[in-house]
Amino acid sequence: MNKPELESILIKARLPEIADDSLELFPRRIVARLKHNDLPDHAARNLSPRLAWAFGLMACVVIAIAIGYGHRQMKPELAGPNDSLASAKLIRETLALFPNRVRAIVQDEKGLNLVLSDADEVPASSPLYVRICDGKHCSQFVTFSGQEILVAGQKVTVLADTRGGIIVTGNQFVWANTERTGAGNHFKIEAKNLGAATM
Amino acid sequence: MGGSNDESKLIEQSLSGDPEAYAALVHQHQKMIRAVTFRMTGSLDDAEELAQDAFLRAYRQLGSFDGGSKFSTWLCKIAINLSLDWRRRESRRDDIHSKWAADAVSANNPGAGFPDELSRRVQSALNRLPSKQRAAIVLTIYENQSHAEAAKTLGCTEATISWRVFAARQKLKRLLKDLPHE
Repeated sequence: MNKPELESILIKARLPEIADDSLELFPRRIVARLKHNDLPDHAARNLSPRLAWAFGLMACVVIAIAIGYGHRQMKPELAGPNDSLASAKLIRETLALFPNRVRAIVQDEKGLNLVLSDADEVPASSPLYVRICDGKHCSQFVTFSGQEILVAGQKVTVLADTRGGIIVTGNQFVWANTERTGAGNHFKIEAKNLGAATM
Repeated sequence: MGGSNDESKLIEQSLSGDPEAYAALVHQHQKMIRAVTFRMTGSLDDAEELAQDAFLRAYRQLGSFDGGSKFSTWLCKIAINLSLDWRRRESRRDDIHSKWAADAVSANNPGAGFPDELSRRVQSALNRLPSKQRAAIVLTIYENQSHAEAAKTLGCTEATISWRVFAARQKLKRLLKDLPHE
């Protein structure tokens, strides 16, 4: 085999096809990571210590309120025992307290956590409820399309389309409620759009 | 600045902190970057992760892009160097794993999404090259870079690239000798 023959073989070699939805999703995952975890120096904003303290204090107040609502079960048809996230009123009032700043309300074994953005940058959209179980532990959270949050040590991005489809992506899985496919061997995922009831 | 006016505008908007402009840049270049990282790793999962890292690093370093080269060349440099770092970490971690990784495409995962047997065989052969030789082949054959450009990308001399390409060709000829050629 001479040099042109080898080159001809190398050039003929094609790559595995990348699925269209992967090509569509990829830039959005990059943007989600940039928005919340990977701000570069040229766009980064520093949160002043005083503002950070204020946010911390407000978050504590909201968590206390949230736990109170969880015990009272504001909507019996949605709420289950210890299931604070099923309360539409809790979600509505939390969102009202921090307009465009709530990235997620997470409930896991440690309790309720509020994930806030530094600025009013979370677009107003229907809240999305997601529950992820890894066989041993379950986490559930309410978030919005395009948000990337840390759940059980894993970065998870949630995306919704206008037709009611919800896509949940992690480092090693992509799950869609329209596909009914599994999210790898380890995760069981449920997701629903909470819609206008919480807005 | 290298690249089209639209691309220059998107770069400027990205520098102003507009993530949607950067998403458009990612959309434009993702196939090329994912191809580079796939040729370097032989694994779709690792390739996607490295491509993500490359775009994130590029965003952080966007202020240092001076337009002296095409934006795609600049991105490619980041991706290929990340891939080389990845290979270094992998081989340091476990030699046996590296051997397994080299064989994975052909043995453990027949087909592996490749459109045909020739494509699978070529990637399997690339996986068996030392990573720097593989990088030289990826840049000169698949990214059409001259030896001088590839030397700049990899931070070595042109003579080193020429030697790596020569050595890689010899090995590839041996590995692919039974494939039909014209």
